[in-house]
Amino acid sequence: MEVYINSTGRYLPGKAIDNEEIETVLGLIHGKKSRLKNKILKSNGILTRHYAINQQQQTYISNSEMAANAGNICIESSYLSPSKIEMLSCATSQGDLVLPGFGSMVQAALNLSEVELHTSHGICSSSMMALKAAFQNVKCEDSKNALVVASELTSRLFKNSRYEQLESNEVDFNAEFLRWMLSDGAGALLLENQKRPTGTSVRIDWIKSFSHANSFPVCMSVGQAKNEETKTWQDYNSYAEAEKSGALLLRQDVRLLDNIVSVGVQGFLKLIAEGHVDINKIDHVLCHFSSKYFKSKIFDMLETAGASIPENKWYTNLYERGNTGCASIFIMLDEFIKSHNLKAGETIFCMVPESGRFNCAYMHLTVAGNE
Amino acid sequence: MENTVLTPLGQSCLQSLLKVWLDFDLAMNQVPVVKRLEQGRLSLEDYQTLLLNLRQQVIEGSRWISRSASSFDRDYSDVRSTVIGHSKEEHRDYLLLEADYVATGGKLEDIQSATKNIGSEALHGFLMYRATQTNPVDLIGAMWIIEGIGNKMATRWSKLINEQFAFDNKATSFMDYHGENDESHLQELYNLIDRVATSTKNNEDIVRTAKVVAKLYQLQLEEVDNA
Repeated sequence: MEVYINSTGRYLPGKAIDNEEIETVLGLIHGKKSRLKNKILKSNGILTRHYAINQQQQTYISNSEMAANAGNICIESSYLSPSKIEMLSCATSQGDLVLPGFGSMVQAALNLSEVELHTSHGICSSSMMALKAAFQNVKCEDSKNALVVASELTSRLFKNSRYEQLESNEVDFNAEFLRWMLSDGAGALLLENQKRPTGTSVRIDWIKSFSHANSFPVCMSVGQAKNEETKTWQDYNSYAEAEKSGALLLRQDVRLLDNIVSVGVQGFLKLIAEGHVDINKIDHVLCHFSSKYFKSKIFDMLETAGASIPENKWYTNLYERGNTGCASIFIMLDEFIKSHNLKAGETIFCMVPESGRFNCAYMHLTVAGNE
Repeated sequence: MENTVLTPLGQSCLQSLLKVWLDFDLAMNQVPVVKRLEQGRLSLEDYQTLLLNLRQQVIEGSRWISRSASSFDRDYSDVRSTVIGHSKEEHRDYLLLEADYVATGGKLEDIQSATKNIGSEALHGFLMYRATQTNPVDLIGAMWIIEGIGNKMATRWSKLINEQFAFDNKATSFMDYHGENDESHLQELYNLIDRVATSTKNNEDIVRTAKVVAKLYQLQLEEVDNA
């Protein structure tokens, strides 16, 4: 059974926010401008992004509503009526509610009846896990179709008031880093067991991922305070206490971040060695890299080894749409498919490295046509 | 860096070697002493033990390079020249390890009188055996792994160690030394790969030796805690 992506959709809340405006939305920590902001923005290269909170730091659209908006846009441009959707597979790094699963909330917002439901939880690669579950379900003929939605609302974690709760009053680099990296948005894909005569149908050839959590410490997290070895957020007497100690801040251990490059390349070389990818036959590369800073000696070596893919084949909308975590790859696919006149047989290689505890997902797509 | 354009076979060899290196790099993260080093939990005794263990392999490390030089016949005299140069450059590296050991507060006679750990024995034995074969082109794979470790020590481990300890005198000269002339070493390796990766058979041999050396080096590091 072949599985096709027949429709895509994205939803980015509000207007695009440029670098100058970020702090008017997220707020000034203790009334002071950040000293790190420009340095981090310069290195990630992001120019505009969207936030689901307003200038008073109030949420004006929830995570599940954003997901539903992207899902609806996707369904509306498809051949299917919402009542025909058989599976809903969702991903986010943090839903509006801690429980139930994000998928339940999105299903209700979309008003889809009696779907098979899946929620995958993680960071950037969770959307690929959700997509894989849906892909397998259609592939093994359990469902004729599946709607996959990934959505993120991380700005709530970046409000000035969050940082101001810290008892130590000191925001360290690792806690502030992601404030200038991540923003909000949702993306959706509709999978079907047949291609459609109009619009672009893209066949999913395979999805694979390699996780290395056993080899590395946690690199990106919410739930543990700085220098805290064992205690996590629910182990405090109260959530207020956890927040005061910094256990609820989104943190990135930047010293470990470099490892994501070798992890990503290791998996890539493994896929080549196993014959899943032929570099010369890749027409487009969509990689969810978190910033411009993605070059290293390994890439020079790949080039020398004839295993690099020319830069003109790479596509990204990171700089205009922002880094929306797990939603990024779907938002990227949506805009890429809609803005390119793709020909039957063209191949798309997708890659989603996640620094959380080092997982890297890969996907190979082929544009379908009248073969 | 000005890249030497590798031949298609050379490129395929480098690609495989890069994968062997990355697999090894990941596997090293599982070695207890490396884990402690990477996560900032290395004790001074750990670092001293690491230096003491590395020295026993390094002091004999240049022997396999020199021996392999003499195993290249007239058809490979150009390779022999490169290998001799390499051997001359590195055959006194162990002195840096000894100096570092003393700088950390260790006694010179302790590091000089220690013996090889089980992993070092195996690694040394394998390298000497391969170096004795006629035209041991596969040892390029060994050089690749050893060069990779040198680079990792210089760019990462040395930094981590210096962040964790405050030594009166420089105690990471061995690790740092491998960062110098890194680019030219890499270029030299590329040239060697181009020179010897001339058949599928040669490539297979090179990659296999790289894998064995990586595994035995890992064993050597694992045995640091058992020495």
